[in-house]
Amino acid sequence: MGAGEGLLTPSRGGQRLTTPSLLGLPLAWLGVFFLAPIAIVAAYSFDVYSLFPGPHGFTLAGWRSVAHDHIYLRLFWKSAQMSLIVSAIIVVLAYPLAYYLALSGTKRKYILLLLLIAPFLTSYLLRVLAWKVILGNEGVINSFLVWTGIRAPDHPLSQLLYSRFAVMLVLGYIWLPFVALPIFVSLESLDRRLLEAASDLGAGRLRAFLKITLPLSLPGVVAAFFFVFVPTLGEFVTPSLVGGASGYMYGNQIVDLFGAGFPDWETGSVLALFLIAIVAVLTVVFSRFLQPRQVATD
Amino acid sequence: MDVALSRNGAWVLRAFFGLVVAFLYAPIVILLIFSFNNSDVPSFPLSGFTLHWYHDFLVNGDLRAALGTSAVIAALSSLGAVVLGVLASIALARRRFRGQAAVAALLLSPLVIPYVVFGISLLLLFHQLGVARGVPTVVIGHIVITLPYTILVLVPRLEQIDASLEEAAFDLGASRLRTFRAITLPLILPAVLSAFLIAFTTSFDEYAVASFVIGTRPTFPIYLYSALRFPSQLPQVIAVAVVVLVLSLTVVVLAEAGRRIAERRVPLERGG
Repeated sequence: MGAGEGLLTPSRGGQRLTTPSLLGLPLAWLGVFFLAPIAIVAAYSFDVYSLFPGPHGFTLAGWRSVAHDHIYLRLFWKSAQMSLIVSAIIVVLAYPLAYYLALSGTKRKYILLLLLIAPFLTSYLLRVLAWKVILGNEGVINSFLVWTGIRAPDHPLSQLLYSRFAVMLVLGYIWLPFVALPIFVSLESLDRRLLEAASDLGAGRLRAFLKITLPLSLPGVVAAFFFVFVPTLGEFVTPSLVGGASGYMYGNQIVDLFGAGFPDWETGSVLALFLIAIVAVLTVVFSRFLQPRQVATD
Repeated sequence: MDVALSRNGAWVLRAFFGLVVAFLYAPIVILLIFSFNNSDVPSFPLSGFTLHWYHDFLVNGDLRAALGTSAVIAALSSLGAVVLGVLASIALARRRFRGQAAVAALLLSPLVIPYVVFGISLLLLFHQLGVARGVPTVVIGHIVITLPYTILVLVPRLEQIDASLEEAAFDLGASRLRTFRAITLPLILPAVLSAFLIAFTTSFDEYAVASFVIGTRPTFPIYLYSALRFPSQLPQVIAVAVVVLVLSLTVVVLAEAGRRIAERRVPLERGG
């Protein structure tokens, strides 16, 4: 470690801030409170540790039963579909917003950008709460429909709240502002001279968009998709508040297995580790789109 | 002729942008309206103006205690995350060492871990160690999840600052620590403050991880979550929601404005 460091700068006894002394504390913190806990989850999933006293040894029984129990896999697939659809829709919605901010030449683009992403920086739970108030059977939409006489009082739109639709609407609402950000950054760094050259060479705007703007902004689009898909895949707060039975997601299953009712920490650990594995694979696959300002490179 | 947008295209996009912004703010405005509505249920027709719900939450001891707990947790964990983040960011931005990419990846990896999994992992760790759950265990978890945010704010700022300033101070005989105090810290101070703010607001709002490792003293999000299950508390919660949303929007705008002004005052670019 610290290659070349000692050559360029003279050492001054105890006052040097060496690379290990800079990184020691952050890495130790993550080692003890981030990596070790995940290792313990792995130990539970192999029944090396257990909630119940008694002798325990390494076994794959938990993994085998999850692999054969289609309930969990089906639930995972359902959650994956829900977050895929949400992520795809809001990326498509956010693209024109980012395009407008980055390329329309508006002078107030940073103010408008702040206007767009500010809701994302406010309380998550309170934004879910707002939709609970809006979508409920006696909520804002239904009471408004009854009040204006569009619907009879005893026939509310009952599938609004506690449904898969409600979960996806709220997740989309929560993540939409955030998605615009990476797309905006990639469009913002686009060299407008490329578009001028295309125009000079006779390409129309649509053609220039398809051949130049879209391909060059694709890394931002992919990053945006990734940063919504991953957190929504393991989501459990929104479905537990607005999802009801039909909006139940994989994350809720994990929570319930560690809950007070019928705890099954072994199965829960298998499901948790499976989710980490999926996220890790996705991260590696997407990693070349996710270089945050070259933090990881030199 | 504009190469990116026709005039009609610009008009359509502007209208779409307006619609989306309206969609984003409508729920917040609806909460605002119903926080002043004189009825136990938030539904139409509106039945009169009241400040009753604001008064209710001001005198609600449990709620104030929860806000206090969250403030303490957010202050401690953002402080911890910023200290660790400054150390790690200096190493990432100023040093070259073997395994740098792997170290950076590890430091940023809490960004992608599903919070439900991280919460459960911490729960199992503290269970295994026999540590009682409470405010300190939440702080520990929140430092982990806010650390990457501080690094993402600090590293770009450090990379903007000309490293030769630090080298000059060092060559003139200042110690490493003195160089840090006299040169580096003042230059990155705006970024340190915004890292602190981001970590603070993230921690203050965090429910998922906290729900697994908090003991009997609820944080504000945990209090909110349980209050959402009792309809009788709803109007009060809406009033709190409005206060918190308006406050956090104000902080966001002020922080952004402050960062702009601060960075304009210190326009030191690398290179030259």
